[in-house]
Amino acid sequence: MIRYSKNFLAGITVVLVGLGGCGQNHEEQATANLKPPIQQEIEEIRPQVSQIVRAPVTEKTRKTYQWYCAQCHGIEGKGDGINAKLLTVPPRNHTKASYLETRTDEQLYEAIKFGGLSVGRAPCMPAWENTLDEETIHSLVQYIRELCQCEAL
Amino acid sequence: MIQKILTLLCLGGLLSLFPLSLEAGVLEENNCSTCHSLSSEDTEKKISGPDLYYAGNKFQPEWLRQFLKVPAVVRPSGFITDPGFLKGSPENLVPHPSFPDEKANAIADKLMELKIYEQTPVVRNALSKGQRAKIKYQFERTYGCISCHQSLNLAGKVRGGISGPSLVNAGNRLQADWIASWLQKPETYLSKSRMPRYKMDSVTQNLFVQFLMTLKKENMK
Repeated sequence: MIRYSKNFLAGITVVLVGLGGCGQNHEEQATANLKPPIQQEIEEIRPQVSQIVRAPVTEKTRKTYQWYCAQCHGIEGKGDGINAKLLTVPPRNHTKASYLETRTDEQLYEAIKFGGLSVGRAPCMPAWENTLDEETIHSLVQYIRELCQCEAL
Repeated sequence: MIQKILTLLCLGGLLSLFPLSLEAGVLEENNCSTCHSLSSEDTEKKISGPDLYYAGNKFQPEWLRQFLKVPAVVRPSGFITDPGFLKGSPENLVPHPSFPDEKANAIADKLMELKIYEQTPVVRNALSKGQRAKIKYQFERTYGCISCHQSLNLAGKVRGGISGPSLVNAGNRLQADWIASWLQKPETYLSKSRMPRYKMDSVTQNLFVQFLMTLKKENMK
């Protein structure tokens, strides 16, 4: 019995270690066994906490969301973009207030700027710091607030 | 005497014109320009296919020949400007036409002449096992490439998102120097791609190029 449990545990460990990235088959999507980022990883990615600016949501913000974000988060932000079913961790549904009100604007800003790992979330979300300017990132945070119809608690 | 010179000039003019009309011939005859830009001066927006005016820099000739004979799907969601791209139902995802051997080879040869730079290929060392593992990790975890691009996992299975072009066969399809050039300055090729820009140091970038060149469909299991 003891030997059996040991083998079982070893098997589980191998499976857990094997799941490191984002691309998985749909059937395997239910397994959210991604390794959480280690502290060192987080510090490397997120150099400093920035000041949050409440940038207005403009036409450019919406277009930016449609051009880049909607690939995974979907046209309406429901987390159902064309890549969604192929990722290990489903993209965030930006219309889900119950989750987004638990996130601060700083956390959303950092997730966009430095990627998911920087805020202890999935690595599937890349860093947009070299693609989007500061103002656009700030306005995207506000756009997410518009989508979820919520504020940070 | 003057007549002779004139005749020679005329002949020369005709001869120099002839190859030009032939050049336009094979690509025009087959309507490539309906979906692809064949010149950097072509400002008309093409919504159904990638620009080909740098095909000679981008593709490996053998892949191009094979593609024109038996087209493979590179962009499962269609081209990024397709009106149906984000809906998962591209409007212009008609199967690429296939051509008989001789014609496919002629088109591929002509496309390989379309270049925007001349460069002697950079010699890159093969990746060590450790380097490959490290870059594979970065591909999936640090940069999140796999969220949008299909590649092969350790078991040789296709994994990854479909909004970007598939990289499952990148090592047979693309030229290493083109990948490097794309990573450095994507706007040279596409005024606005849907891919995030990455600032990689040259060492990492080189390793990335080498890693992508190891992705080949024959490794699929």
